[in-house]
Parts: sequence; C-alpha cells; structure tokens
Amino acid sequence: MTLWYILFRMPWHILFIAATLVVVGALALYSASEGSWQPWAGRHALRGSVGVGLVLLMAFIDFKLVHRFSYIVLISVLFVLAILLVIGSGQNVSRWISIGGVSFQPSEPAKIAIILALARYFDSQPQDRMQSLIVYLPALAIIGVPFLLVMKQPDLGTALMLLLGGLSVMFAAGLPWRYVGGAVVLALGAMPLLWMSLHDYQKSRIMTFLNPEADVLGAGYQIIQSKIALGSGGLFGKGFLMGSQSQLNYLPEKQTDFVFTMIGEEFGLVGNLFILGLYLALSLSILRISYLVRSRFSQLTCMGISIMLFFYVFVNVAMVSGMLPVVGAPLPLISYGGTSMLTVFFGLGIVTSILVHDRWED
Amino acid sequence: MRRGKEKDLRRIMSRRGFMLAGAVVTMTGFLGARLHYLQVAQSSRYQRLSDRNQFDVRVLPPARGRLFDHKMRLVAGNAESFELRITPLYARNLQNTLDLLASIIELTEARKGHVLDTAKTLPSFREITVRDDLSQRELARLAVRSPLLPGVSFGKSLRRIYPQGALTCHITGYVSPVTQREIENDKSLEILPTLGTGKTGVEYMFERLLRGSPGREKIVVNATGRPIKVLSDVPSAPGSDVQLSIDIGVQLHASERLRQGRWEQVTLGSHDAQAALASAKELQAHLAVGDDMILRDGNGRLVPAESGAVVVMDIHTGEVISLVSAPMFDPNLFTGKLLNRDWRRLNEHPRRPLLNRVTSGLYAPGSTFKMVVGLAALEAGVISENTEFFCKGDRELGDGIFHCWRKGGHGTMNIVSALEQSCDVYFYEVALKIGIQKIRNMALRLGLGAITGLNLPDEKSGIIPSHEWKLATKGVVWTPGETVVAGIGQGYVLTTPIQLAVMTARIANGKDAVVPSLLSKSNGVSQNFPPLNISESALAVIRRGMTAVLYGGAGTASGFKLSKKYGGMAGKTGTVQVKRITLAQREKGIIQNIDRPWADRDHALFVAYAPLKKPRYAISVVVEHGGSGSSTAAPVARDILAKTIAERGLI
Repeated sequence: MTLWYILFRMPWHILFIAATLVVVGALALYSASEGSWQPWAGRHALRGSVGVGLVLLMAFIDFKLVHRFSYIVLISVLFVLAILLVIGSGQNVSRWISIGGVSFQPSEPAKIAIILALARYFDSQPQDRMQSLIVYLPALAIIGVPFLLVMKQPDLGTALMLLLGGLSVMFAAGLPWRYVGGAVVLALGAMPLLWMSLHDYQKSRIMTFLNPEADVLGAGYQIIQSKIALGSGGLFGKGFLMGSQSQLNYLPEKQTDFVFTMIGEEFGLVGNLFILGLYLALSLSILRISYLVRSRFSQLTCMGISIMLFFYVFVNVAMVSGMLPVVGAPLPLISYGGTSMLTVFFGLGIVTSILVHDRWED
Repeated sequence: MRRGKEKDLRRIMSRRGFMLAGAVVTMTGFLGARLHYLQVAQSSRYQRLSDRNQFDVRVLPPARGRLFDHKMRLVAGNAESFELRITPLYARNLQNTLDLLASIIELTEARKGHVLDTAKTLPSFREITVRDDLSQRELARLAVRSPLLPGVSFGKSLRRIYPQGALTCHITGYVSPVTQREIENDKSLEILPTLGTGKTGVEYMFERLLRGSPGREKIVVNATGRPIKVLSDVPSAPGSDVQLSIDIGVQLHASERLRQGRWEQVTLGSHDAQAALASAKELQAHLAVGDDMILRDGNGRLVPAESGAVVVMDIHTGEVISLVSAPMFDPNLFTGKLLNRDWRRLNEHPRRPLLNRVTSGLYAPGSTFKMVVGLAALEAGVISENTEFFCKGDRELGDGIFHCWRKGGHGTMNIVSALEQSCDVYFYEVALKIGIQKIRNMALRLGLGAITGLNLPDEKSGIIPSHEWKLATKGVVWTPGETVVAGIGQGYVLTTPIQLAVMTARIANGKDAVVPSLLSKSNGVSQNFPPLNISESALAVIRRGMTAVLYGGAGTASGFKLSKKYGGMAGKTGTVQVKRITLAQREKGIIQNIDRPWADRDHALFVAYAPLKKPRYAISVVVEHGGSGSSTAAPVARDILAKTIAERGLI
C-alpha cells in the first residue's frame, strides 16, 4: 500500500468540510471574545489543525488495529467513568478528569467506544442469528452500562446521546422491526421512571423548556435570550462582531453550547443554513462510505459515527432554538472544547482508516 | 445458503442506511423550518425584544420653572436632594443590607418591604431607590459606613423648595408627587413617577408652563446593566421661570399686620405665654402648624393670631401685590412625602389653614357693599348727590323693622354723609327705590358675584342675589325686606376678598374694568381691560363719600388716616354680623363683641384705595370675627397701604 495509494483513497471532501467547520468555529469564537483571538479562537484553530493532522495520520493505520482494540477502548472508557463516579471532580458533578493540568471529559470518547464495540460485536455474530432477540441483549449491555455511568455523573444530555447513538447502530445492524416497535413502547413506558430518577435541576430544566417565560430571570433566561438572539438576527444577521445579544453578554455560553445562536445572530438564517448544510453533507458523506466498505464492522462504524455526529448537531440546534430542553450539548467542531473536537476528529480518522483500508472493490 | 443470508443482511443494512439518511435529511428539514420560524416569521418580534435588552431609555426629569416675586426674589425654586439607592446584584443579601441601613437612617418597614418587592420584579443590576431627601447628617453617617454597605450608592434629584415658606403658601400653592388620577388624565406623566405636579396655587395654575419637558437618553447596556455607550441624548428642557406680581416685602408686612389685628403680640418665651400654651388647646393647634404668633386681647386673654384675608392690587394693571390668607401653612411639607401627622394637623385645624380665604372665603360684604348700591342709584338717576333721607334709627317695612347700627339714628343724610357714617337707613331707602335687579347689575359690573379672572384654582364666585336666583334656589319669591337687607350687603349677598379688592380698584380706576393677575407686568405685558362704562360723575360722588370715611368729621375710620406723606387714602368700613342679635340682647344694650365667643363675633372688613389724588393701589381686608371694620380692619389696611407705597412708590 503506497503513500500515493493512500492519498488517492483519502476522503478529502470530508476533511475539507471538517476544516471549514473548524474555520467557521474559529471566526465565531473570535467574535465571541469581542474580536480577539484570545482566549478561544486561536486555541480552537490550533486544535483544529492538530485534528486534521490526526485524521491524516490515521489514514496510515489499518482499520484492523481499530477493530482489535475496540473492546479494550470501551473497557478503559468504562473504567475511567467508574473511577470518576467514585472520586468525583466537583460538587455532585463528576464529568471531568484532570491529568497534569489537561482537563478531559471521558464521556466524549465513550460515544466512539460504544459504536466500535457494537460494530465489532455485530460483526462477530453469525448472519443467520440476526433475527433472534438473544443477539441483541449483549448489545443492550454495551449501550446500557456507559449510559448509566454517564447518567449518574450526572450528564443527561450525553447519556441520552449515547443511548440514541447505540440504538441507531442496533437499528442499522438489522434489528427486526418487531423489536423496534417493542423498544418504542418500552421507551414510552419507561418515561415516568426516568423522570423520577432525574435530579431536581434536571427536572427544572425540562419544566423551563416547556415554559421558559415562567422564569425569565432564572433558568428560562438562557433559552429566552437564545431565541431573541436567533430571531433578531433575521435573514442576513446583524453582521460580524455586531450581534448585540452576544457582544453585550445577554447570550450565555456563547463560546460553547450557544455558539450556533451567536452565528445566527450575526449571520442570520443564511449563515445558520450554511452550517446546517455542511453538517448534513458531512453526515451523509460518512454514511455513504458505509456503502463502499467491505466488512460489517466498517459499515456499522461509519453508520454509527455519521448518526452520532448528526445527533449532536440536531440536539444542539434544537436546544438553542427552543425545541429541546437545555441539556448541555456542544456543536461539533465549532464549539470551544478540546475533548469534543478531538473525539470528532478521532471518529473522522477511523472513517478515513476504514475507507482507505477496507474499500470494497480492490 | 450462507452466501444468500449474507446478501440478505447486506440488503437490510443498506436499506437501513437509506432510512437513516432519510431521517437525517428530514430532521435537518425540521431544524431549518424552526430556524425559519424564528428568524423570518418571528424576526420583528425578536428584534424588538433584542432592542429592549440592549437599549435602556432613561428619562431625564426637567427642572421645574422657578417663581420669583416682582423684584426677582425667589419664591419657589429647586434644591438638590440626595437619594439612597441600592443595587441588589452587589448587595449580596438585600434583607441584611436594608436592616443595616435602617439602623443608620430612618427607614420604615413599609419602605423596606417595597424595596424587596421591587427587587423581585427587576433585573438584579437595576438600582432601586431606597430613600430620598437624605439630610446632610444622614449622608455623613452613611458615607462613614459605606464600606460595610455593598451595593449602596447615592444619586441626586431635584426637590421643590419654597424659601418663603408659609408666607407665600396661598400664592405658590405646592407641588406634590403625581397621583394616579393625574396619570389617568395625562399619560405623559407616567414616565416620570418621581416628578411633582402643582396641586394648588400658581404651581397648579401654570403647571404646563412650569413643568418643562423631559429629556431622553438612549444608552446601550450590557447584560450586567453597565452602560456601554450613549446613542442619543435629548436633554430635558427646563420649565419657564415666572415672575409674579407679588412683592415679598409688602407680603411679609401684610401677613404680620393682619394676624396681629388690633391686639398686642406676646413673646412666646414669656411666663404667661408658656402657661397658656400648656393649657389652651386652640393655641396648641396653631403652634402645631407653625403659627407662632400669640396675642393678648382687650380682656388680657392670650389668643392665637387673627385669621382673615388681605389683597393689595394695582388699580391700573390689576397686578396683585400682596395676597394673604391666614392662618397659613408651610408648603414645603407637601413636596416630599407628606406625613400623616402633618396632614391631620392641617386638615383638622379649626380655622382651616389650607383654605385660601382670598379667593375661596365667602363673606357678606356688609357696608362695603354700600358703594355698589349708591352707584346703582346715582347712575339710574334715582338719587343725586343732594337727595336726602332721614335716619331715625330704624326703618319700618310692612311688619318688619330694620335697624340702623346707630341706635339713635343719623338724622338727615345724603349719599356722601351716609357713606361717611355708614348710615344703614339711608341705604335701606335707596335700595327700596332702585330694587335688587339694578343693585345686582352694578355689583356684577364692579366684579362681584363672579370669578375674577385671577385664575387661582377653586376660586368661588360668591352670590349676588336676584329674583330669579331666589326662585331657583329657594323656591320662593323675592321679598322687599330682602332688598332692604341686601342694601347694606347682608342677607344673601356673599363675596370674596379678591372681589372686594377688584370692586375698589374699579371704583378708583373709573375707566377700566380691571382684572386681577398674579403675573408681573413689568415686562411690558399689555393690559387691555374692557371699559367700565360707569358715569364718572357718579363715581366721583362715591369717591368723595369714601374719602369722607377717613377725613370727614364723623367718618367711621377717621381715626386711621393714612399720612400725607403717602398721599392719603379713601375707604369704607364693613362690620358683618355673623350671628343675629336677639331681641333680648338688643334690649340689654349693645353687647361688646369681645365678650362673645370668637366664632359669634362680627367680621371686620375694610376696603380702600390710595393715594387720594392719583389712586394707584386698592386693598381689601377681612379680619374674621375681628370686631368692627373701623376699629380692627381699618388700621390694618392703612398700615399695609403705607408699606405698599413705601415699597412700590406713589406712582
């Protein structure tokens, strides 16, 4: 496998879209700090470059290596998550782990780990058993354990994301329709149970989502300000660095979860649709790769990463536009945050590796 | 077989892949639709909300126009006052800080509750006014402790002050905080809840002129409420200053002189004054509203200052030089938060200090009305200067008998001597000859029985009766006896002190139907009064009669001539019965006024003009229950006219 062969097989368009999103993110963060590369935009661009480098590097790694390590990755992630729960890193919140001054959020790589583990598990199952329920029970355990650990942190948003991403892989693997139907019924039935297991602040977030005007200055503040910022942006926006909601700090968390809102205020619906278009292209491109690759592991991994990425975008945009409660979900590649970005690029790297090394017709 | 299964599964997976792709596209469509709803369909609404966030429009209250007297001395002005504000965001624990403040300065529980309630409805970075009108002492105490008071700041605001205090209370009136009813009538007041509006007096009369217009400052504020930049700044336009016709020098003298009446002032510190103050409820009530004049009456009793009214006006321009209504009150009490205690004291005071007696006090004019009757008769040709009637002390009419004030009668009288000695019988005869309608017409032409045009609020029109008036209000016909009584200004006739001054001014002026005004005309404001249209010869006769009141040998006020230095004066006394004297009392002989309860005593009236040769000033004096017009009101009028001429000159 020569260098030229690898470069020829590289999914350049995916890398290009990702790089564009990083640039958009850097510009947004530049605006978020009132026109300065400090403290976010510069580091964001730097991390983006490292990320692109990581993808290029991973193109040279055979996907079989990924396949081999997939269970180990899941187990180590679970281990870290469990340790976090025991020691805890803050007041009732144990999402972060700090090693030598570098903060790290283990629930982010958990997303990839679940997908890889599920892909390998289904890949190992004989084809003719895929109709029986027994095959899917271990898969539920692969999803369920990290889900519960993250839920306990507590990080409801990420936990639900893990659940949905995992279930999507199960669906893609060919889960019979009768079980799909059964799962939906089960999920609806479990809702009250889930509600009771929520923390008070999580409940209040959901209540606030249902009626933000009830608490204008408190919990409803974020979502109301976000809607005002989006809505006042209009079709073409207020202009770069001109978003009054963002620049005057009415908009909270504008460098992380609400960065999409800020872009919407400064560049309007046009800017927002451009970004949504990029994500759609990215998601569909990765999904398309699942049709070009040979092994079931490769197929399911691509589908899973594609869906997981899209879920993140969907939850974030739905959240900032008031369609979902505020759960704390970053916008991939645009929001400021190292772990999230590294995870996304790692996922893209895996996709690249798969495409380069496990292409169907060679 | 196995191969076939593999193919099946591959087909299932690729179908599922398409489904996922479809789901991704559909969900992106949802997001797009949602964003379209927010950013296009609802955009203008959110644009408005965004503006409300980032722009803070602050209303800058205008400085209220000042009031000056004729010589540009300040009568109403604005003083800077300090107010205490708190920002809940920085106060950390609002309740604790308020409790701490209450231990340093006066702060009511109700006020604290109000601040706490307000804090709940406003963003925490907004300042809330805790107290206004801080004293220097309170400011100093707060300043020393300021390190312990997080979130506390000071602001300046303007507060209305009346440097002359009670002296000008019935002229200036007062401003007080805007009421809900005013806001309902004038929506523009809503934005300035702290602004005071005129409630009475000139403050009410010229409210529009004095108020000015508020300015607006549009500021960009960030989420913590910090101003970022000023976008537009429309400064407030202060209200116009107004120069009044009042002369403070005359006003001060008039108020002292009226309130002293004919008695002697007692020093408050003296032993018997203190003893009297301790026991007499009436004196306490006066002192409680700031009236510290105590008099010793003819019987040696200590009594409060006299109440009543004085108006001095220029007979050519109509300018009111002095306007006194006693007792008075301090208008400064009203500008801030009026204390319940103060309000009760003023409102329940037996002599009603809030009433402006000059425009709203109704008094029978008594003998001062005789000029009206005389003029009506002279002009109608019913009498001439030489027409004589005989006064035997009473006049019989049908079953009734009408007495003259002098028991033995005045003998033969003509119009001049009848005015000089204030013979009642003469005017009974004249009144019967011309009838009430003609008397009424003349009264109206001289300014009685109608609002004068001074424009102070709540002015009363008084009553000049007529046949129709009696029928309409009493339901019975007019009787000749009532004409007789009206002939000496009693019965139904009611006038205000300002009307009596206008009447006197018109008699002295002779040409113009002068209208009184509180505005200074020194700035060349033209005065175009309608013509009076009363024959000059008739007026001359009346003026001679009024001169005889002072300078005639038997004049009722001959003891109180105005010195030659000031050009002399002409006038007319009036003594108005408040309570009918019973037959039994009459038989026992004349009862001294002073021996009756205060409220039963006669009102003492006097109207006059001066100087004699070229009249310039007219005055009317009412001393409530002051005894007789000649002994009480005449000397008051003389002294005030002397002071007026000394201050304002002869011409």
